[in-house]
Amino acid sequence: MKCTNKAAKACAAVVAATGFAMTCPAYAFASEGGIDAILPKMNEFIPMLVAFIILWIVLAKFGWPVFNGMLEKRENTIREALKKSEEAQIESERVLAEYKQQLADAKAQSTQIIADARAIGEAVKADITAQAQTEASDMIAKAKLAIEAEKKQAIADLQASIADTSVDVASRLIGQDLTEGEHRAIIERYVKEAGSFNGN
Amino acid sequence: MATNRLVVKEEVAVFASVLFDAAHEAGGQEAVLDVREQMGEIIRLMRADLELAVSLSSADYTAEQRKGLVEAVFADCHPALREVLAVMAERGQADLLPRVYADYCELLSAKLNLVVVDVVTAVPLDDGLRQLITEKAEADLGKKAVLRERIDKSILGGIIMSVDGNYIDASMISQLNRARHILKDTSDGGEC
Repeated sequence: MKCTNKAAKACAAVVAATGFAMTCPAYAFASEGGIDAILPKMNEFIPMLVAFIILWIVLAKFGWPVFNGMLEKRENTIREALKKSEEAQIESERVLAEYKQQLADAKAQSTQIIADARAIGEAVKADITAQAQTEASDMIAKAKLAIEAEKKQAIADLQASIADTSVDVASRLIGQDLTEGEHRAIIERYVKEAGSFNGN
Repeated sequence: MATNRLVVKEEVAVFASVLFDAAHEAGGQEAVLDVREQMGEIIRLMRADLELAVSLSSADYTAEQRKGLVEAVFADCHPALREVLAVMAERGQADLLPRVYADYCELLSAKLNLVVVDVVTAVPLDDGLRQLITEKAEADLGKKAVLRERIDKSILGGIIMSVDGNYIDASMISQLNRARHILKDTSDGGEC
């Protein structure tokens, strides 16, 4: 309110000085030609000077402090804004640097993860391959053993069958073809060739 | 237990002695040999027919039932053997018969001074073979030998001779079975 009153008083003084100067318009343009046309007339100059001085005093007394305060306020505002802007810029640069560092770390980490995953994958692949080869070898070995066992069993069965058949045929031939005389001759030979009853 | 074994041994000896004396008194050497042969047949029969062997010693039957069973089943046997076997069945000791048989054979050998040679053949022996076998047994054992012949076609041929549990098996079925085993057990000829 105080500033407003001062401004109102300054405006009133300006209006009064302007009015004072406007009271002498006839003197201002009542001049002659030549250099006198651009030189001020004293009778005009002095009132104008007085009015100017009054206006200057009024403005210096009431307008300038207000204007200066506004300028200072504006200056402070701009300074604060600039300061905040600088701080924001610094902060943004810091955050940007931090983000860049984080991004670089993330890239390095992702690269390491990919490398680890690839190494693990290779190791797993090698293990699976080795295991598959081992299992395949075991299966082949077992299959060979089974085939060999079946082969031996088949041979043994065939051999037993041949033996049984041969013995059966021999038994039938002996039972049918030998006469009693031949039987007795065989018995006689066996008795003569037999060991002792004492076991000696 | 030792006492029980001795008691049983004594009982077996008594059964064998009574049986030998009864058979010898009834028919001399021939009867003794007949009883021996019949006892051997009964042992084989009891081994083949487990129900009969169990029934003769089973406590499920009374002593009279077991005695009646013996007299019914072995009616054709020598009376001395049938009576001794009936007593054993009455006492529930028919399962001792193999031991009685062994003791009986020892008595036979000791008291008659002879050995019994059991001969199994597929065809009947002729006199020449009997003499050959007898001479061989007497030469080996140093006692008079008596042959007990039995025909068994299942041996196919050859001869089986046994004296007191010592066997000489020269039968063809045994030789064929040995050949069968050798053929089956031989594995080095089967490689393809």
